[in-house]
Amino acid sequence: MEFKLEAHRIVSISLGKIYNSRVQRGGIKLHKNLLVSLVLRSARQVYLSDPCPGLYLAGPAGSPAAPPPQPGEPATGTPAGWGEPPPPAGRAAWPETESQPGRPAVPDAPRAGDTDPAATPAGCSAAGSTPLKKPRRNLEPQPGGGAEDAEEEMETGNVANLISIFGSSFSGLLRKSPGGGREEEEGEESGPEAAEPGQICCEKPVLRDMNPWSTAIVAF
Amino acid sequence: MELEGLVRRPCPGLRGLARGSRTAAVSLVNAGVQPAAVSCLFPLPADIISTVEFNHTGELLATGDKGGRVVIFQREPESKNAPQSQGEYDVYSTFQSHEPEFDYLKSLEIEEKINKIKWLPQQNAARALLSANDKTIKLWKITERDKRPEGYNLKDEEGKLKDLSTVTSLQVPVLKPMDLMVEVSPRRIFANGHTYHINSISVNSDCETYMSADDLRINLWHLAITDRSFNIVDIKPANMEDLTEVITASEFHPHHCNLFVYSSSKGSLRLCDMRAAALCDKHSKLFEEPEDPSNRSFFSEIISSVSDVKFSHSGRYMLTRDYLTVKVWDLNMEARPIETYQVHDYLRSKLCSLYENDCIFDKFECAWNGSDSVIMTGAYNNFFRMFDRNTKRDVTLEASRESSKPRAVLKPRRVCVGGKRRRDDISVDSLDFTKKILHTAWHPAENIIAIAATNNLYIFQDKVNSDMH
Repeated sequence: MEFKLEAHRIVSISLGKIYNSRVQRGGIKLHKNLLVSLVLRSARQVYLSDPCPGLYLAGPAGSPAAPPPQPGEPATGTPAGWGEPPPPAGRAAWPETESQPGRPAVPDAPRAGDTDPAATPAGCSAAGSTPLKKPRRNLEPQPGGGAEDAEEEMETGNVANLISIFGSSFSGLLRKSPGGGREEEEGEESGPEAAEPGQICCEKPVLRDMNPWSTAIVAF
Repeated sequence: MELEGLVRRPCPGLRGLARGSRTAAVSLVNAGVQPAAVSCLFPLPADIISTVEFNHTGELLATGDKGGRVVIFQREPESKNAPQSQGEYDVYSTFQSHEPEFDYLKSLEIEEKINKIKWLPQQNAARALLSANDKTIKLWKITERDKRPEGYNLKDEEGKLKDLSTVTSLQVPVLKPMDLMVEVSPRRIFANGHTYHINSISVNSDCETYMSADDLRINLWHLAITDRSFNIVDIKPANMEDLTEVITASEFHPHHCNLFVYSSSKGSLRLCDMRAAALCDKHSKLFEEPEDPSNRSFFSEIISSVSDVKFSHSGRYMLTRDYLTVKVWDLNMEARPIETYQVHDYLRSKLCSLYENDCIFDKFECAWNGSDSVIMTGAYNNFFRMFDRNTKRDVTLEASRESSKPRAVLKPRRVCVGGKRRRDDISVDSLDFTKKILHTAWHPAENIIAIAATNNLYIFQDKVNSDMH
């Protein structure tokens, strides 16, 4: 149980760091963001694999989660680098209380991030192709293959979007930044280089009434 | 080894360093002027020292800071008249190396912070160094002028043209001595070679080429050619989403001009031979220690990332620094390091808080002494640690104002982890994590060390007995 809380906390902190790195002077530091994303993945694994479903409130029955049709979610599952076997009993019911106020903002994230071709950085896979992407080879020595199942079991649309954003692995984090934050080779030609100065992928909602977890989700 | 002596880096506005009292045994300079001391208490971000490097003889010490400035110190030569002034480092030259820039294409601001300085081996009267920020490397030539011509025929002393009618005879201009003037000029600018942030540069032993490494690529440059470079390592994956490791440091072998090493964020070292192929993606040797499964935590990957790698002067060993340890590797053994020293293992249980306050990402450097028998690295609370490889003894010392009094001998410090606490011990919880010593340098031949503590530079040297002179 403590592991889950600890993991939860670490995920929140990591998301905050990634968010802050976007506005740092000097641009995104690749090394630090890579390390933060690795921590985020470890924490996420622990969070999802810890079988304590009773910790969180049950979601509303009519929760429009329906993860599979979500545009932000890869149809064939997340890259294996993020995958882990779905916990049999540990269908993590993400905190539901904030799903209501959080939802209006979060859907902007996948929409902006995944369907906006202008947001595609040259070197990364095109956003539109993410759902069609083949499962990538497993870079980590993890039991693979269960990634897509883990995704489909998510109950809320918010969390599914969040997972899919991170499911597109490292560049997914970088891709969400304003255009100035990305570091790509000059001279790459695929797709117009996104001119996104100042464009933020998700609206900044009113944060006053939200708890830190939803704040973290909404930040992306 | 007893260490004593201190030079404090001039704070902005401080012209020179006041000379304190000295004895035959110790040479030091104490910047004891009160207003400067006060301004040093609240360091401006631009004054934070970001790199320290001795030149090959140890006569010069260069420091770079976050504001893009380079300050060079020179050691006063020994003089028979004043033997006590031997070994003092005074400011030799200060110049602005890099300015902040803006990359309009990517809407990115490029910091002017100097990441690395490397001296070029001296080949003539002039001296040269390379300074690098995140994107650009510059070669600076440092020359001295101590004579100037006087007695021109056509110009007067101020340089104004003379009225020709007043010129009645010809004279030969004569070189007269003048106050030493140090002139610094940028001779080469190596720009546009890197997409990612430059983390290290290293001059080759052939004295003609050098390499610069960023997160994903290493480029080989010729010192005289600025419009092109060779890419010798490229670990950028075809798909950035598959990125799992980045390059964190690199260095040329001190004797073999074809060998270089680079370290990764996964804790591995790769030794590459440039004779093998043009693109050295395939390493000749891979140095990696298997992870200890009992120490696994959320942060295992972060703390195994190598922040610095240094070849020994002999060229036989490599020194690496990760977050909690320094390791000595033998080039002939790839499976594991031959020596591992714990720098501050008491932090292992505090990794989560250190992650929260970003301290876990601090990149500490490490250094060898001239004979490769002692290694040194920095830690928190302005502590730095030295490990004697032969006696296996280690010491923790503090670079602080209290220890900066003239002739003060540095007292070993101890961090207590619970259990018995001695009087002067510091507990782990009272360590100041904002006071970190990331950059240290050791004189190539003598026992003189330079320690950068935020915006202050401390120079300590081994206590020399007066009867040795």
